Amino acid sequence: MLPVPLPRSFRRLASILISFSALFLASGCSALWRMDGHQTTMITEGPVARMQTDVFYVTLWVTLVIFAIVGSVLAYAIIKFRAKSEADEHAEPPPQGHGNPLVELGLIAASVLALVVIAVPTLRGIWYQYDVPADRQAEMLEINATGKQWWFRFEYPTELIEGVGPLVTGNELVIPVGRPVRVNLRTSDVIHSFWVPKLAGKVDMMPNRGNHLWLEAEQAGYYWGQCAEYCGESHAVMRFRVIALEEQEYNAWLEAQKQPARTVTAAAGVAPGAPTFQFASFRRNEYGFSPAWDAGAATAPLDLWRAQQQPDANEDAALVERGRDLFGRDLMNQRLCFSCHAVRGHDFFGVTGPDLTHLGSRTTIAAGLLENTPDQLARWIMNPGEVKPGNIMAVTYEAANIEISEDDARALVAYLRSLK
Amino acid sequence: MDATVKSDFITKDAPHAPASKPLMFYRPTAKTGLLSWLTTVDHKRIGFLYGVFALFFFLVGGFEALLIRLQLAVPNNDLLSAQAYNEMFTMHGTTMVFLAVMPLSAAFFNFIMPLQIGARDVAFPRLNAFSLWTFVVGAIMVNLGWFMDSGAPDIGWFGYSPLTSRTITPDHSTDMWVVGLQLLGVASIAASLNFIVTIINMRAPGMTMMRLPVFVWMTLVTSFLIILAFPAITIALVEVMMDRLFGTSFFEVSGGGMPILWQHLFWIFGHPEVYILILPAMGIISEILPTFARKPLFGYPIVVFSGAAIGFVGFGVWSHHMFTTGMGTIATAAFAVATMAIAVPTGVKIFNWIGTLWGGHLMMRTPMMFALGFVWMFMIGGFSGIMHSAAPADAQQQDTYFIVAHFHYVLIGGSIFALLAGIHYWFPLIFGRKVSEFWGKVSFWVIFVGFNTTFFPLHFLGLNGMPRRTFTYDANLGWNTPNFVSTVGALILGLGVAIYFIVMIYTYFRGEKVGRDPWDGRTLEWSLPNPVPEYNFKVIPTVHARDAWWYEKHHKEEIAKEQAATAKEEAAHGGIHMPFQSIWPLLVSFGLLVGAIGVAVIPREDPAEGFWGWKIGISMLGAVILVIGIFLWAHEGNEGYHLHTEDDEGHGGAKKGAH
Repeated sequence: MLPVPLPRSFRRLASILISFSALFLASGCSALWRMDGHQTTMITEGPVARMQTDVFYVTLWVTLVIFAIVGSVLAYAIIKFRAKSEADEHAEPPPQGHGNPLVELGLIAASVLALVVIAVPTLRGIWYQYDVPADRQAEMLEINATGKQWWFRFEYPTELIEGVGPLVTGNELVIPVGRPVRVNLRTSDVIHSFWVPKLAGKVDMMPNRGNHLWLEAEQAGYYWGQCAEYCGESHAVMRFRVIALEEQEYNAWLEAQKQPARTVTAAAGVAPGAPTFQFASFRRNEYGFSPAWDAGAATAPLDLWRAQQQPDANEDAALVERGRDLFGRDLMNQRLCFSCHAVRGHDFFGVTGPDLTHLGSRTTIAAGLLENTPDQLARWIMNPGEVKPGNIMAVTYEAANIEISEDDARALVAYLRSLK
Repeated sequence: MDATVKSDFITKDAPHAPASKPLMFYRPTAKTGLLSWLTTVDHKRIGFLYGVFALFFFLVGGFEALLIRLQLAVPNNDLLSAQAYNEMFTMHGTTMVFLAVMPLSAAFFNFIMPLQIGARDVAFPRLNAFSLWTFVVGAIMVNLGWFMDSGAPDIGWFGYSPLTSRTITPDHSTDMWVVGLQLLGVASIAASLNFIVTIINMRAPGMTMMRLPVFVWMTLVTSFLIILAFPAITIALVEVMMDRLFGTSFFEVSGGGMPILWQHLFWIFGHPEVYILILPAMGIISEILPTFARKPLFGYPIVVFSGAAIGFVGFGVWSHHMFTTGMGTIATAAFAVATMAIAVPTGVKIFNWIGTLWGGHLMMRTPMMFALGFVWMFMIGGFSGIMHSAAPADAQQQDTYFIVAHFHYVLIGGSIFALLAGIHYWFPLIFGRKVSEFWGKVSFWVIFVGFNTTFFPLHFLGLNGMPRRTFTYDANLGWNTPNFVSTVGALILGLGVAIYFIVMIYTYFRGEKVGRDPWDGRTLEWSLPNPVPEYNFKVIPTVHARDAWWYEKHHKEEIAKEQAATAKEEAAHGGIHMPFQSIWPLLVSFGLLVGAIGVAVIPREDPAEGFWGWKIGISMLGAVILVIGIFLWAHEGNEGYHLHTEDDEGHGGAKKGAH
């Protein structure tokens, strides 16, 4: 394969390398090129993302065709004109021509033509993705999303709660299916970026600048999102979810969310032993691979999200056990949680951190990072800095000398999980 | 050395005797030892030093990259903390762009460009030394953070405001990064002005612009890009420094500042910077391919023109780094189309390289392997570049690993492959020894396989939604296999680079000695003996054709006659004029270092103490050293001495003497 004779050992090494990589490609390639993860850009669930992926395919095919042509010519030239021997190298030099203007101009014209093929859908797409089409603005839902180090605050400006203001949630955005949603993007500190790959490409949340994007979910589902602009120490763990619901279910959810935090309830619980789903895996499979990669599960997460909306059978006790030493709602006061967090109806009005009024109904905590299970919630409450380095809760613990014991954490968890 | 006698080049009639000058105007004359290197004004020595420093930082940046890849080998890894990881990718980017690829290109500019145009040195030898030492000083400033409590900067190599705000990142390492980049800018601009003047004024007779080797053309274009692009980031960095040190509000959100302004200023520098990194590489490739194909570059005028066109259009595409910042439809569309337009001159280069190979006698030596590797890898990087010029597609790809894959194909598969090719190609000229073909090819194949194993899977990773600059990722998102494969590839790539450098060091000491022009070269540098004598050309050549040395080799008698005439003429003018060494460029750079430490490293004192304190004191001290250095530099005069060469071979056998 090489013109200069090489020692046999080199050839043997090369053949081992090639057979090894062929073996590797045969066995491991599907996982290598598989692009159907929760956050893939190649499987789209909404018109904006679909248009963007379509444009990508146009660029992909055009460049692949050019690559195939140019690459073949290059490969041919390398093989055909390679000096075959020492003598060949010192043969009479080839004609010393300096070029051929006709060939060159032809190639330039061809490249320009290829680029026009890409430019047309690109320009169309730029206008399409910018804002909700004019004929659909009447049915549009508007959301204000604010990026913070390191979580997302979602506000529904049209859903007003008597005496409080607009409905606010954190890290899990619920939208109706089949309606265009315009997300106004704001930030309260550095630049973040709002990205739900299956629904729409990202747009940054710029300080002192009113950005927006629009997206639409075509079917009910549970979608993964993540901050896509480096925003400081814990950028990697600033995630969120978008849950798309049919109109009727969406309206029911809105009604439930507008209610103040639960005090008593008699709703039926979910049977224990319901199938579990991995909503997040932070530190779950430490140092290893996920044993069950659950990309195929499209509707399962949504069903589990629905189940999460219902109180568990044994949860009410936590709410009514006032008078015990460890009562979560009192600890919210004693441990200063209230200074940052709000629980509507329970007289907590903090605005720095996420609104916890219906925390129990979310599938994840700590900005899409941990599953909302008692263990993970306790871990988060006790060691926020270990889970999300540098976050404001950890900083505040240090500044205000707050330490949460395991018993306190369990009590807080019982209280917070009951907030559905 | 010994028998040098001073002569004032400008006022030849009234030469100063050395003794009549005050002590501070003493000019070092040592040709060996540490002082000779510190005070050198020889473009070849300066180029060599640039190369040594650049390769050192290349290894540092590569080590940082390996740590990044090891952290990402498996999900939820905790080899590095979030903070350490962020420092690592910030410094990896900063180091590779400013401290590895740019100075390595500068090393070739310095060493090769004057030889290719038939000059004896660059236009301003002392300014050249100043550029080198200021680069070193800037590199020190940027990396000082590693040795301090605050750690290295963790703001990303792009330093997006408001992450650089004092309220969000109070660390001094950010100040050091800001000031360090300023110094690197000073070094780059000074060097570029020098190269521009050299190329325009110091070409050998007959070396018209359209006969310049393409590498020299690319040096010229790159130098213009540097002097036009760096002021933008200089202004932006001054504004950040003002915000951080004096509480202004250029980017301070609470004061009404506009963080988007930083992005525009950064990328109107940053995009031409991309071409600053790749055009020298294209120049090197345009030298290597014709040499090893044994025929002239196909379509020389159009290659040169497309290089210049890339330079011009390169200033009009910066906002394609900002498609997701909400620029609005018109701006996004304009930058998308401009970005597609720049693909045309880039494609033209690839067509012409293939045209160069067509019909040639390709000698598959190691430099040629790297050069062909460059063409393939640069093509892939270029095509993925076209993919994100389509702004809607870019909305998904921006800030994902797809982008990481793209620019590593351009910067490693492109720039680094070309620079590694260049080292192999010019090694015989610089050191008089040749790298073993076997080990050279082994290093090429290991680097090539390792590089593709590292970066090809990242395309899929990005399309599968993995964002960049993340210190960890979940195990259930389908990113595990590509990440693991990529890390294995990075280790292979690291092994390849290690082989490359070990082979180079071995060759430096023990390699096979070669004579003049071992590759049957085409450009003037190959007309020189190796190692190249201090004065480069015994007789300034007269250029008759584009590939000047190739022409000389095929018109020996005519050239010999002509050179004899030129030599006589030159001897009548007093022989070869050589500049004296100087200590002052080094001192000026040292003053910049002291001042920079005062500005960036010394903590701001308690405001109650008022204006005076360590901070202002050290800064002023630096300014004083700087001013004294410049003053003495200006007044020592541009003196030199004359050399007379006698032996006909010109193998460094110069005899020094007065005229």
